[in-house]
Amino acid sequence: MSSLLKAASKAKRKADAMDVDDVDAGDRPVKKRNKQRVLLLSSRGITHRMRHLMNDLEVLLPHVKKDSKLDSKSQLHLLPELADLNNCNNALYFEARRHEDLYLWAAKTPNGPSIKMHVQNVHTMDELKMTGNCLKGSRGLLSFDKAFDETEWGKLTKEVFTHIFGVPPTARKAKPFIDHVLTFSILDSKIWFRNFQIMEKDPLQPNGPPQTTLVEIGPRFVLTPIRIFEGAFGGATVFSNPEFISPTAVRSAIRREKGAKYGQRKDAEIESSRRKESRKRDEDALAVSKVFA
Amino acid sequence: MGKNSKKAAAPVAGPSKAPPPPEPEPQSSEEEEVDEQDGSGSDSDEENGGVDEEGMERLMNALGDDGLDDFDRMQLHLALGGDDSEDDEDEGDGQEDRSSAESVSEDGEEQNAEDDEDEDEDDLDDEGEEVPLDEVESVDADAVPRQKIEVDNTAALARIRETIQLDPTLPWTETLVLSYPETIDVDVDDDLNRELAFYKQALHSANAARALANKHDLPFTRPSDYFAEMVKSDSHMERIRQRLLDERAGIKKSEDKRREREGKKFGKQVQIEKLKERERSKKDMEERLKGLKRKRGDMLDKPSADDDDGFDIAVEDAIADRPSKRGRGAAPGGRGGAKMSRRGRDQKFGFGGAGKRSKSNTRQSTDDFSGSVGKRGGRGGFGRGGIRGHGGGRGGGTRRLGKSKRVAGRR
Repeated sequence: MSSLLKAASKAKRKADAMDVDDVDAGDRPVKKRNKQRVLLLSSRGITHRMRHLMNDLEVLLPHVKKDSKLDSKSQLHLLPELADLNNCNNALYFEARRHEDLYLWAAKTPNGPSIKMHVQNVHTMDELKMTGNCLKGSRGLLSFDKAFDETEWGKLTKEVFTHIFGVPPTARKAKPFIDHVLTFSILDSKIWFRNFQIMEKDPLQPNGPPQTTLVEIGPRFVLTPIRIFEGAFGGATVFSNPEFISPTAVRSAIRREKGAKYGQRKDAEIESSRRKESRKRDEDALAVSKVFA
Repeated sequence: MGKNSKKAAAPVAGPSKAPPPPEPEPQSSEEEEVDEQDGSGSDSDEENGGVDEEGMERLMNALGDDGLDDFDRMQLHLALGGDDSEDDEDEGDGQEDRSSAESVSEDGEEQNAEDDEDEDEDDLDDEGEEVPLDEVESVDADAVPRQKIEVDNTAALARIRETIQLDPTLPWTETLVLSYPETIDVDVDDDLNRELAFYKQALHSANAARALANKHDLPFTRPSDYFAEMVKSDSHMERIRQRLLDERAGIKKSEDKRREREGKKFGKQVQIEKLKERERSKKDMEERLKGLKRKRGDMLDKPSADDDDGFDIAVEDAIADRPSKRGRGAAPGGRGGAKMSRRGRDQKFGFGGAGKRSKSNTRQSTDDFSGSVGKRGGRGGFGRGGIRGHGGGRGGGTRRLGKSKRVAGRR
C-alpha cells in the first residue's frame, strides 16, 4: 500500500522522498523533516574570485557537499547523476565562461527545476570591508523581500533558494544558534544577495539595552535570472528573462562602438574619393596638350 | 543588399497606399522585418510566423507586382494559409497564453511546454535574421525595437513549484524562511540607500526571527561562553581590526591636518584683528589727549612752573583711563579743590615783590642749566618738548613713566 502510494506520488512528481520524509505507514507519525543536501561544484576555468565565492558559500552552508570541477561544459546532464552519487537533492553549479563571466545554476536534481543565473558584482568574504563574523555552520535566516511573492518565477526561485540556502536542522555540521541572516532582494529585476551578522548588543555601548544591530559578513553578489528550465540542467524553458543581455553582447557592443569610428572614417574616405572622381571634368577640347600636340 | 531593397521599397509604399499612421505599432515593426527578408529573398518563408495575414496583404499591396516575384508570392500564400492556426497559439502575447493554459488540464500543459520549446527554436532562428538597431541606417519613427521573446509560462511555473514545495505543515524551525513585507524600492545606482534598504530588510527579519524563535523554543542568541570555530579565522579578523584602526588613524590625521590649515587661515584673521585693535586704541588715545588739551588749554598756553606736575598726572590718568588716585587736595590748583592756604599761595605764587620784572630772564637764569630750566616748559609743556626735562635732574617733576605706559604712549 505504502509503495503504491509512493509510486503515485512519484508519478505526480510530488515532493520526492528526499525532500520531506513522508509519513511512513500512516499509523506511526514520524516527525517531518526538511532534508536537503546541496552539491556544489564549478566548471573548469574559474578565476580565483569565483573560487573564493564558492568557498564562502561552502563555509556558510554546512549541508553543502563540494565536488571537484566538472570537466565539460556541454555535458550538464552528468550533474544529476553526480548529485545522486553524493546523496544530494540540490545542486549549485558555477559555470565560468571565458574566464570572466560567471553563471550559476541552481537546480533541484533528480527532476528539476533548474534556474540559470548570471552572477555579477561579486565581493567575497575575504574583503576587509566586511567586518562581521559568525559561527561556522550556524543556520542562517533566509529573508526574501516581497517582490519574490509577486511573480510566479519569483515564487519558484524563492522555493528553490529556500531548499538550497536554508540549512536544515539535521545537517551534521550545523550549530545550534542563529547569528546571521541571508537576504535575497529583488531590485531592478535582479536578485541581490547579502549576508549580515546579527549582533545582540551595540558594540559601541556594551552595557546599554540590548539592541539588534547588523554587520555585514559577506559575500555579496547579484544574480540576474536568465532562464528557468523544467528539468534538472535541461528541459523546456518555462521562464526566460527578456531583459537579460549576455555579457558577451555587451562587450561586443562596446567594441563595435569603438570600431564604428574606424568604419566611419573609411566610409568618408571612399566617399570623398568617389566624389572627387565624379567631379573630374573630361578633357577639354582646348586643353594645352591637344592644342599643342 | 537588404538596406538597398528597403530603401527602394519605402518610397513606393508611401504614396501608393499611404497606411494610416495610427496603426498598432508591432505591426509596423514586423512590416519592416519582412521588407528586409524579401530583399534577401531565399529564406523568407521561415519568418512568416511573425506576421499576421492582414499586415501581409497590406504589405503586398504596397509592394505591388514588382516587389515580389511569383514564386515568392505563392510561398507567401501557402505560408499564410498554413500558419494561421498556429499563429494564434504561438504569437498570442503571454497574456492569452496564460489564461488559456490555466484552464487546460495536465495534458494541455504538457502540450504547452512543447510549444514553448518550438518557440525557443523559432527564437533562435529569428536571431539570425534580426538586424541590430545600430546597423540600420534609418529607422521608422514608429518602429518598435524588437525585444527577445519572453517566456513566462506561469502555469508551468506554478505546477513545478507545487511539485517541489516543502510540506507547508513543516514548522518554521525547519526552514528559517522569512518574508519581508515590503519591496526594495530604491534607485539601483544609489549605493547608500540601496544598502540601507537591504539592511532594513535584514534587520526586520532578524527581529521577526527572534520572536518566532522564542515561540518555537529555538535557541537564538549565542551565549557568551559558547566558543566554536567561526567563519572567518582569527588572523583574518585581526587583519580587519588592524585595517579599521588604520582607517581611524588616517581619518584622525587628516582631520588634524585640516584643523591646522583652518587655524592658519583663522590666525591671519586674528592678526588683522589685532592690528585694527591697535589702530583703534591709538586713535582713542589721541582723542583723549586732545580732550585733555582742550580742557586745560589755558594752562598749556601759558604753562606755569608749578603746574606741569599736575598736568603730567592728568595725562597719565588720561592714558591709563582712570581717575586720579592722588588726593585732590594734594593736586595744587586742582579745579574745585580745597584752596591752599593764603600763606601757601603766597609762598608759591609770591606776594608783592618785584612783580613783572621778576619773571623775565636775567643773565644768571639764562646761564643756569642746572634744573631751573625745566621749570619753564616741563615735559608736557609744549607737546613733547621736554627733551631737556628728561636730562634734568629734577627731583619731583616729570617722572619717567613705566615701560608699559611708555609703550602705550608711543602708539
